[in-house]
Amino acid sequence: MAGNTERLGQARRCALSLATMTQTAPALSCTDLTLDRGGRVLVRDFSLAVNAGEAVVLTGPNGSGKTTLLRALAGLVRPGGGVVKRSPAEAGIAFLGHADALKSSETVEAMLQSWTTLQGGNADATRLDAVMRELAVAHLARRECGKLSAGQKRRAALARVVLSERRVWILDEPAAPLDTASRARLAELVARHRKGGGLVIAATHVDLGWADARAVELTP
Amino acid sequence: MSAALALFAREMRLAFSGGGGPAGPAAFNLAALSLAPLAIGPNAEVLAAAGPGVICFAALLATLQPAERLFGEDASDGTLELYALSGQSLALTCLMKALAFTCAVFWPLPILAVLGALAYGLEFGPALITGLSLLLAAPGLALVAGFAGALAAGLKRAGLLIALIAAPLQVPLLIFAAGAARSAVEAPHLVGPNLMMTAAYSLAALALAPFGAAAALRARLE
Repeated sequence: MAGNTERLGQARRCALSLATMTQTAPALSCTDLTLDRGGRVLVRDFSLAVNAGEAVVLTGPNGSGKTTLLRALAGLVRPGGGVVKRSPAEAGIAFLGHADALKSSETVEAMLQSWTTLQGGNADATRLDAVMRELAVAHLARRECGKLSAGQKRRAALARVVLSERRVWILDEPAAPLDTASRARLAELVARHRKGGGLVIAATHVDLGWADARAVELTP
Repeated sequence: MSAALALFAREMRLAFSGGGGPAGPAAFNLAALSLAPLAIGPNAEVLAAAGPGVICFAALLATLQPAERLFGEDASDGTLELYALSGQSLALTCLMKALAFTCAVFWPLPILAVLGALAYGLEFGPALITGLSLLLAAPGLALVAGFAGALAAGLKRAGLLIALIAAPLQVPLLIFAAGAARSAVEAPHLVGPNLMMTAAYSLAALALAPFGAAAALRARLE
Protein backbone atom coordinates (compact mmCIF):
# COMPACT_ATOMS: atom_id res chain seq x y z
CA MET A 1 0.00 0.00 0.00
CA ALA A 2 2.77 2.40 1.05
CA GLY A 3 4.72 1.37 -2.03
CA ASN A 4 1.71 2.12 -4.19
CA THR A 5 1.28 5.62 -2.74
CA GLU A 6 4.98 6.28 -3.28
CA ARG A 7 4.75 5.13 -6.90
CA LEU A 8 1.68 7.30 -7.40
CA GLY A 9 3.59 10.28 -6.02
CA GLN A 10 6.46 9.56 -8.36
CA ALA A 11 4.13 9.31 -11.31
CA ARG A 12 2.53 12.63 -10.41
CA ARG A 13 5.90 14.36 -10.04
CA CYS A 14 6.93 12.89 -13.38
CA ALA A 15 3.75 14.15 -15.02
CA LEU A 16 4.25 17.56 -13.44
CA SER A 17 7.81 17.90 -14.66
CA LEU A 18 6.72 16.73 -18.12
CA ALA A 19 3.99 19.35 -18.13
CA THR A 20 6.38 22.14 -17.15
CA MET A 21 8.85 20.89 -19.74
CA THR A 22 6.32 21.04 -22.54
CA GLN A 23 5.26 24.47 -21.39
CA THR A 24 8.76 25.89 -21.40
CA ALA A 25 10.62 24.08 -24.18
CA PRO A 26 9.34 24.83 -27.67
CA ALA A 27 8.06 21.81 -29.55
CA LEU A 28 10.37 22.50 -32.49
CA SER A 29 13.24 24.94 -32.60
CA CYS A 30 16.42 25.74 -34.44
CA THR A 31 19.26 27.99 -33.37
CA ASP A 32 21.93 29.68 -35.48
CA LEU A 33 21.08 27.49 -38.43
CA THR A 34 23.30 27.80 -41.50
CA LEU A 35 22.24 25.96 -44.63
CA ASP A 36 23.99 25.71 -47.94
CA ARG A 37 23.07 24.11 -51.19
CA GLY A 38 25.45 23.46 -54.04
CA GLY A 39 28.22 25.39 -52.27
CA ARG A 40 26.08 28.54 -51.82
CA VAL A 41 24.95 29.64 -48.37
CA LEU A 42 21.17 30.09 -48.43
CA VAL A 43 20.34 30.66 -44.79
CA ARG A 44 22.72 32.10 -42.23
CA ASP A 45 22.32 32.15 -38.43
CA PHE A 46 18.60 31.53 -38.56
CA SER A 47 16.75 30.87 -35.32
CA LEU A 48 13.13 29.89 -34.84
CA ALA A 49 11.10 28.43 -31.99
CA VAL A 50 7.65 27.01 -32.59
CA ASN A 51 5.34 26.01 -29.76
CA ALA A 52 2.57 23.48 -29.82
CA GLY A 53 -0.55 25.01 -31.33
CA GLU A 54 1.35 27.52 -33.46
CA ALA A 55 1.54 27.99 -37.19
CA VAL A 56 4.50 29.55 -38.96
CA VAL A 57 4.31 30.67 -42.56
CA LEU A 58 7.62 31.11 -44.35
CA THR A 59 7.70 33.51 -47.26
CA GLY A 60 10.46 34.82 -49.46
CA PRO A 61 11.48 35.02 -53.10
CA ASN A 62 12.45 31.97 -55.17
CA GLY A 63 15.80 30.60 -54.13
CA SER A 64 15.75 32.15 -50.66
CA GLY A 65 16.04 28.73 -49.01
CA LYS A 66 12.49 28.01 -47.87
CA THR A 67 12.48 24.42 -49.08
CA THR A 68 15.97 23.73 -47.74
CA LEU A 69 14.97 25.18 -44.38
CA LEU A 70 11.86 22.98 -44.23
CA ARG A 71 13.94 19.93 -45.11
CA ALA A 72 16.44 20.80 -42.40
CA LEU A 73 13.66 21.25 -39.82
CA ALA A 74 12.29 17.84 -40.82
CA GLY A 75 15.73 16.32 -40.33
CA LEU A 76 16.22 15.40 -43.99
CA VAL A 77 19.20 17.70 -44.48
CA ARG A 78 22.09 18.01 -42.11
CA PRO A 79 22.68 21.72 -41.45
CA GLY A 80 26.07 23.26 -42.16
CA GLY A 81 25.93 24.88 -38.73
CA GLY A 82 23.56 25.22 -35.80
CA VAL A 83 21.10 22.74 -34.34
CA VAL A 84 17.52 21.66 -34.84
CA LYS A 85 15.75 20.46 -31.71
CA ARG A 86 12.47 18.67 -31.30
CA SER A 87 10.84 17.95 -27.97
CA PRO A 88 10.50 14.21 -27.29
CA ALA A 89 6.72 14.45 -27.44
CA GLU A 90 6.90 15.31 -31.16
CA ALA A 91 7.86 11.84 -32.29
CA GLY A 92 7.13 11.96 -35.97
CA ILE A 93 6.86 14.56 -38.69
CA ALA A 94 4.21 14.69 -41.37
CA PHE A 95 5.98 16.09 -44.40
CA LEU A 96 4.58 17.37 -47.66
CA GLY A 97 7.25 18.31 -50.17
CA HIS A 98 7.13 19.96 -53.58
CA ALA A 99 6.33 16.62 -55.16
CA ASP A 100 3.19 14.85 -54.03
CA ALA A 101 4.89 11.43 -53.66
CA LEU A 102 2.03 9.69 -55.46
CA LYS A 103 2.39 6.65 -57.70
CA SER A 104 0.44 6.94 -60.91
CA SER A 105 -0.86 3.36 -60.83
CA GLU A 106 -2.06 3.40 -57.22
CA THR A 107 -5.60 4.39 -56.25
CA VAL A 108 -6.08 7.22 -53.78
CA GLU A 109 -7.62 4.90 -51.21
CA ALA A 110 -4.84 2.29 -51.45
CA MET A 111 -2.22 5.02 -51.21
CA LEU A 112 -3.79 6.50 -48.07
CA GLN A 113 -4.25 3.07 -46.51
CA SER A 114 -0.61 2.07 -47.04
CA TRP A 115 0.89 5.34 -45.86
CA THR A 116 -1.32 5.58 -42.81
CA THR A 117 -0.32 2.08 -41.70
CA LEU A 118 3.31 2.85 -42.46
CA GLN A 119 3.26 6.11 -40.51
CA GLY A 120 1.54 4.54 -37.53
CA GLY A 121 -1.81 6.31 -37.94
CA ASN A 122 -5.31 4.91 -37.72
CA ALA A 123 -6.03 3.20 -41.07
CA ASP A 124 -9.62 2.44 -40.17
CA ALA A 125 -11.98 2.60 -43.17
CA THR A 126 -14.35 5.07 -41.45
CA ARG A 127 -11.49 7.37 -40.44
CA LEU A 128 -10.05 7.21 -43.97
CA ASP A 129 -13.44 8.03 -45.40
CA ALA A 130 -13.96 10.97 -43.03
CA VAL A 131 -10.63 12.58 -43.93
CA MET A 132 -11.15 11.98 -47.65
CA ARG A 133 -14.54 13.71 -47.36
CA GLU A 134 -12.99 16.67 -45.55
CA LEU A 135 -10.51 17.17 -48.37
CA ALA A 136 -13.11 16.45 -51.05
CA VAL A 137 -11.31 13.43 -52.47
CA ALA A 138 -13.84 10.82 -51.32
CA HIS A 139 -15.35 10.60 -54.82
CA LEU A 140 -11.85 9.96 -56.20
CA ALA A 141 -11.08 7.12 -53.77
CA ARG A 142 -10.92 4.47 -56.48
CA ARG A 143 -9.28 6.59 -59.12
CA GLU A 144 -5.60 6.09 -59.90
CA CYS A 145 -3.39 8.93 -58.73
CA GLY A 146 -1.96 9.35 -62.22
CA LYS A 147 -5.39 10.38 -63.49
CA LEU A 148 -5.92 13.21 -61.00
CA SER A 149 -5.52 16.92 -61.66
CA ALA A 150 -2.72 18.84 -59.90
CA GLY A 151 -5.11 20.22 -57.27
CA GLN A 152 -6.68 16.80 -56.66
CA LYS A 153 -3.22 15.28 -56.24
CA ARG A 154 -2.35 17.93 -53.68
CA ARG A 155 -5.55 17.26 -51.77
CA ALA A 156 -4.84 13.51 -51.73
CA ALA A 157 -1.33 14.24 -50.43
CA LEU A 158 -2.79 16.52 -47.76
CA ALA A 159 -5.14 13.72 -46.70
CA ARG A 160 -2.04 11.60 -46.12
CA VAL A 161 -0.64 14.31 -43.85
CA VAL A 162 -3.85 14.49 -41.82
CA LEU A 163 -4.13 10.69 -41.52
CA SER A 164 -0.58 10.35 -40.20
CA GLU A 165 -1.87 11.78 -36.90
CA ARG A 166 1.49 13.34 -36.31
CA ARG A 167 1.68 16.60 -34.42
CA VAL A 168 4.29 18.38 -36.51
CA TRP A 169 3.21 19.23 -40.04
CA ILE A 170 5.86 20.57 -42.39
CA LEU A 171 4.29 21.66 -45.67
CA ASP A 172 6.08 23.01 -48.72
CA GLU A 173 3.74 25.08 -50.89
CA PRO A 174 0.66 23.22 -49.63
CA ALA A 175 -1.82 25.42 -51.48
CA ALA A 176 -0.10 26.31 -54.77
CA PRO A 177 -2.40 24.25 -57.05
CA LEU A 178 -5.50 24.50 -54.82
CA ASP A 179 -8.67 26.42 -55.69
CA THR A 180 -10.32 28.86 -53.26
CA ALA A 181 -12.65 26.31 -51.72
CA SER A 182 -9.80 23.85 -51.15
CA ARG A 183 -7.68 26.56 -49.57
CA ALA A 184 -10.46 27.29 -47.14
CA ARG A 185 -10.68 23.57 -46.36
CA LEU A 186 -6.96 23.47 -45.71
CA ALA A 187 -7.17 26.52 -43.43
CA GLU A 188 -9.93 24.82 -41.48
CA LEU A 189 -7.92 21.61 -41.10
CA VAL A 190 -4.88 23.55 -39.95
CA ALA A 191 -6.94 25.47 -37.39
CA ARG A 192 -8.33 22.21 -35.99
CA HIS A 193 -4.89 20.61 -35.93
CA ARG A 194 -3.53 23.55 -33.94
CA LYS A 195 -6.41 23.43 -31.51
CA GLY A 196 -5.50 19.82 -30.82
CA GLY A 197 -1.96 20.83 -29.90
CA GLY A 198 -0.36 20.33 -33.31
CA LEU A 199 2.00 22.74 -35.00
CA VAL A 200 2.36 23.65 -38.64
CA ILE A 201 5.25 25.16 -40.56
CA ALA A 202 4.56 25.99 -44.17
CA ALA A 203 6.39 27.72 -46.98
CA THR A 204 4.23 29.54 -49.46
CA HIS A 205 3.94 32.16 -52.18
CA VAL A 206 0.16 32.41 -51.99
CA ASP A 207 -2.00 33.78 -49.22
CA LEU A 208 -2.98 30.80 -47.10
CA GLY A 209 -5.51 32.73 -45.02
CA TRP A 210 -4.51 31.04 -41.77
CA ALA A 211 -5.74 33.04 -38.79
CA ASP A 212 -3.01 34.39 -36.46
CA ALA A 213 -0.21 32.47 -38.15
CA ARG A 214 3.27 33.85 -37.55
CA ALA A 215 4.87 35.14 -40.72
CA VAL A 216 8.62 34.73 -41.19
CA GLU A 217 10.26 36.18 -44.25
CA LEU A 218 13.46 34.78 -45.63
CA THR A 219 15.68 37.16 -47.55
CA PRO A 220 18.26 35.90 -50.00
CA MET B 1 -0.84 -5.20 -40.29
CA SER B 2 2.66 -4.23 -39.25
CA ALA B 3 4.34 -1.36 -41.04
CA ALA B 4 7.01 -3.57 -42.64
CA LEU B 5 4.39 -5.94 -44.04
CA ALA B 6 2.30 -3.01 -45.29
CA LEU B 7 5.38 -1.73 -47.10
CA PHE B 8 6.08 -5.15 -48.61
CA ALA B 9 2.49 -5.49 -49.81
CA ARG B 10 2.47 -1.99 -51.30
CA GLU B 11 5.77 -2.46 -53.11
CA MET B 12 4.60 -5.80 -54.52
CA ARG B 13 1.44 -4.16 -55.79
CA LEU B 14 3.33 -1.22 -57.29
CA ALA B 15 5.93 -3.44 -58.95
CA PHE B 16 3.15 -5.41 -60.61
CA SER B 17 0.85 -2.59 -61.61
CA GLY B 18 3.18 0.32 -62.23
CA GLY B 19 6.28 -1.09 -63.83
CA GLY B 20 4.71 -3.89 -65.81
CA GLY B 21 5.76 -6.50 -63.27
CA PRO B 22 7.90 -9.39 -64.44
CA ALA B 23 7.21 -8.99 -68.16
CA GLY B 24 10.22 -6.80 -69.01
CA PRO B 25 13.01 -8.83 -67.40
CA ALA B 26 11.37 -12.11 -68.44
CA ALA B 27 11.17 -11.00 -72.08
CA PHE B 28 14.77 -9.81 -71.90
CA ASN B 29 15.86 -13.12 -70.42
CA LEU B 30 13.93 -15.11 -72.99
CA ALA B 31 15.39 -13.10 -75.85
CA ALA B 32 18.93 -13.68 -74.58
CA LEU B 33 18.28 -17.42 -74.20
CA SER B 34 16.87 -17.80 -77.70
CA LEU B 35 19.47 -15.61 -79.43
CA ALA B 36 22.59 -17.19 -77.88
CA PRO B 37 22.25 -20.53 -79.75
CA LEU B 38 22.15 -18.64 -83.06
CA ALA B 39 25.61 -17.33 -82.24
CA ILE B 40 26.95 -20.53 -80.68
CA GLY B 41 25.87 -22.83 -83.52
CA PRO B 42 23.79 -25.96 -83.85
CA ASN B 43 26.25 -28.46 -82.31
CA ALA B 44 24.15 -30.17 -79.59
CA GLU B 45 27.12 -31.06 -77.40
CA VAL B 46 28.48 -27.52 -77.41
CA LEU B 47 25.01 -26.12 -76.66
CA ALA B 48 24.50 -28.46 -73.70
CA ALA B 49 27.93 -27.52 -72.35
CA ALA B 50 27.34 -23.78 -72.80
CA GLY B 51 23.73 -23.90 -71.58
CA PRO B 52 24.18 -23.40 -67.81
CA GLY B 53 26.58 -20.51 -68.32
CA VAL B 54 24.38 -18.76 -70.87
CA ILE B 55 21.29 -19.18 -68.67
CA CYS B 56 22.94 -17.71 -65.57
CA PHE B 57 24.50 -14.88 -67.55
CA ALA B 58 21.15 -14.01 -69.15
CA ALA B 59 19.52 -13.97 -65.69
CA LEU B 60 22.20 -11.62 -64.38
CA LEU B 61 21.60 -9.19 -67.24
CA ALA B 62 17.85 -9.44 -66.67
CA THR B 63 18.27 -8.28 -63.05
CA LEU B 64 20.24 -5.21 -64.16
CA GLN B 65 17.57 -4.12 -66.60
CA PRO B 66 14.88 -2.91 -64.12
CA ALA B 67 17.28 -1.85 -61.30
CA GLU B 68 17.02 1.81 -62.22
CA ARG B 69 13.31 1.73 -61.50
CA LEU B 70 13.65 0.36 -57.97
CA PHE B 71 14.77 3.58 -56.26
CA GLY B 72 14.94 6.06 -59.15
CA GLU B 73 11.21 6.82 -59.17
CA ASP B 74 11.07 7.18 -55.39
CA ALA B 75 13.92 9.68 -55.52
CA SER B 76 12.24 11.82 -58.16
CA ASP B 77 8.62 11.76 -56.99
CA GLY B 78 9.20 12.63 -53.32
CA THR B 79 8.48 9.16 -51.93
CA LEU B 80 12.03 8.86 -50.66
CA GLU B 81 11.56 11.76 -48.22
CA LEU B 82 8.43 10.16 -46.84
CA TYR B 83 10.17 6.81 -46.44
CA ALA B 84 13.00 8.54 -44.56
CA LEU B 85 10.45 10.18 -42.22
CA SER B 86 8.11 7.19 -41.96
CA GLY B 87 9.47 6.13 -38.58
CA GLN B 88 10.77 2.83 -39.98
CA SER B 89 14.50 2.36 -40.44
CA LEU B 90 15.55 3.16 -43.98
CA ALA B 91 17.56 -0.07 -44.16
CA LEU B 92 14.43 -2.12 -43.35
CA THR B 93 12.54 -0.13 -45.97
CA CYS B 94 15.25 -0.91 -48.55
CA LEU B 95 15.19 -4.60 -47.60
CA MET B 96 11.40 -4.79 -47.92
CA LYS B 97 11.46 -2.95 -51.23
CA ALA B 98 14.19 -5.18 -52.68
CA LEU B 99 12.48 -8.38 -51.49
CA ALA B 100 9.10 -7.28 -52.82
CA PHE B 101 10.76 -6.38 -56.11
CA THR B 102 12.47 -9.80 -56.24
CA CYS B 103 9.19 -11.61 -55.62
CA ALA B 104 7.15 -9.51 -58.03
CA VAL B 105 9.61 -9.09 -60.88
CA PHE B 106 12.13 -11.91 -60.82
CA TRP B 107 9.95 -14.92 -60.04
CA PRO B 108 9.98 -16.18 -63.67
CA LEU B 109 13.80 -16.42 -63.75
CA PRO B 110 14.13 -19.89 -62.13
CA ILE B 111 11.26 -21.22 -64.24
CA LEU B 112 12.80 -19.85 -67.42
CA ALA B 113 16.10 -21.38 -66.32
CA VAL B 114 14.57 -24.88 -66.11
CA LEU B 115 12.85 -24.49 -69.48
CA GLY B 116 15.98 -23.00 -71.02
CA ALA B 117 18.17 -25.80 -69.70
CA LEU B 118 15.84 -28.39 -71.23
CA ALA B 119 15.88 -26.52 -74.52
CA TYR B 120 19.68 -26.42 -74.50
CA GLY B 121 19.67 -30.22 -74.25
CA LEU B 122 20.33 -30.80 -70.54
CA GLU B 123 18.58 -33.70 -68.87
CA PHE B 124 15.73 -33.14 -66.43
CA GLY B 125 17.85 -33.51 -63.25
CA PRO B 126 20.52 -30.99 -64.23
CA ALA B 127 17.81 -28.67 -65.58
CA LEU B 128 16.14 -28.67 -62.16
CA ILE B 129 19.50 -27.95 -60.52
CA THR B 130 19.91 -24.98 -62.89
CA GLY B 131 16.52 -23.67 -61.77
CA LEU B 132 17.36 -24.24 -58.11
CA SER B 133 20.69 -22.43 -58.41
CA LEU B 134 18.95 -19.42 -59.93
CA LEU B 135 16.26 -19.55 -57.26
CA LEU B 136 19.04 -19.18 -54.70
CA ALA B 137 20.91 -16.58 -56.73
CA ALA B 138 17.93 -14.36 -57.65
CA PRO B 139 17.58 -12.60 -54.24
CA GLY B 140 21.32 -11.91 -54.18
CA LEU B 141 21.33 -10.63 -57.75
CA ALA B 142 18.33 -8.40 -57.03
CA LEU B 143 19.74 -7.03 -53.76
CA VAL B 144 23.08 -6.15 -55.35
CA ALA B 145 21.27 -4.55 -58.29
CA GLY B 146 19.08 -2.68 -55.79
CA PHE B 147 22.13 -1.39 -53.93
CA ALA B 148 23.58 -0.12 -57.22
CA GLY B 149 20.18 1.37 -58.05
CA ALA B 150 20.18 3.26 -54.74
CA LEU B 151 23.66 4.63 -55.43
CA ALA B 152 22.60 5.81 -58.88
CA ALA B 153 19.08 6.98 -57.89
CA GLY B 154 18.14 10.19 -59.61
CA LEU B 155 21.38 10.54 -61.56
CA LYS B 156 21.74 10.94 -65.28
CA ARG B 157 22.88 7.77 -67.05
CA ALA B 158 21.90 5.78 -63.96
CA GLY B 159 21.69 2.63 -66.09
CA LEU B 160 25.34 2.78 -67.03
CA LEU B 161 26.39 3.41 -63.44
CA ILE B 162 24.25 0.53 -62.18
CA ALA B 163 25.86 -1.89 -64.64
CA LEU B 164 29.34 -0.74 -63.65
CA ILE B 165 28.67 -1.05 -59.91
CA ALA B 166 26.47 -4.13 -59.80
CA ALA B 167 28.05 -6.43 -62.37
CA PRO B 168 31.38 -6.94 -60.54
CA LEU B 169 29.56 -7.54 -57.25
CA GLN B 170 27.31 -10.12 -58.91
CA VAL B 171 30.25 -12.10 -60.31
CA PRO B 172 30.46 -14.62 -57.42
CA LEU B 173 26.76 -15.43 -57.84
CA LEU B 174 27.30 -15.97 -61.56
CA ILE B 175 30.27 -18.29 -60.94
CA PHE B 176 28.66 -20.42 -58.25
CA ALA B 177 25.17 -20.61 -59.75
CA ALA B 178 26.55 -21.59 -63.17
CA GLY B 179 29.06 -23.84 -61.40
CA ALA B 180 26.26 -25.77 -59.67
CA ALA B 181 24.41 -26.22 -62.95
CA ARG B 182 27.54 -27.35 -64.81
CA SER B 183 28.55 -29.72 -62.03
CA ALA B 184 25.16 -31.40 -62.28
CA VAL B 185 26.34 -32.71 -65.66
CA GLU B 186 30.06 -33.14 -65.13
CA ALA B 187 30.77 -33.65 -61.42
CA PRO B 188 27.64 -34.23 -59.30
CA HIS B 189 29.56 -34.17 -56.01
CA LEU B 190 30.29 -30.45 -56.58
CA VAL B 191 26.61 -29.46 -56.92
CA GLY B 192 26.09 -29.18 -53.14
CA PRO B 193 29.08 -26.94 -52.41
CA ASN B 194 28.29 -24.66 -55.34
CA LEU B 195 24.65 -24.31 -54.28
CA MET B 196 25.73 -23.57 -50.73
CA MET B 197 28.14 -20.88 -51.89
CA THR B 198 25.34 -19.35 -53.98
CA ALA B 199 23.01 -19.34 -50.98
CA ALA B 200 25.76 -17.93 -48.74
CA TYR B 201 26.40 -15.03 -51.09
CA SER B 202 22.67 -14.30 -51.35
CA LEU B 203 22.41 -14.30 -47.55
CA ALA B 204 25.41 -11.99 -47.25
CA ALA B 205 23.77 -9.61 -49.75
CA LEU B 206 20.55 -9.85 -47.71
CA ALA B 207 22.43 -8.78 -44.59
CA LEU B 208 24.61 -6.06 -46.10
CA ALA B 209 22.98 -4.58 -49.21
CA PRO B 210 20.02 -2.92 -47.38
CA PHE B 211 22.41 -0.96 -45.16
CA GLY B 212 24.47 0.10 -48.16
CA ALA B 213 21.34 1.13 -50.05
CA ALA B 214 20.01 3.07 -47.03
CA ALA B 215 23.31 4.94 -46.64
CA ALA B 216 23.32 5.77 -50.36
CA LEU B 217 19.73 7.07 -50.23
CA ARG B 218 20.44 9.14 -47.12
CA ALA B 219 23.37 10.75 -48.89
CA ARG B 220 21.16 11.36 -51.89
CA LEU B 221 18.59 13.21 -49.72
CA GLU B 222 21.18 15.71 -48.47
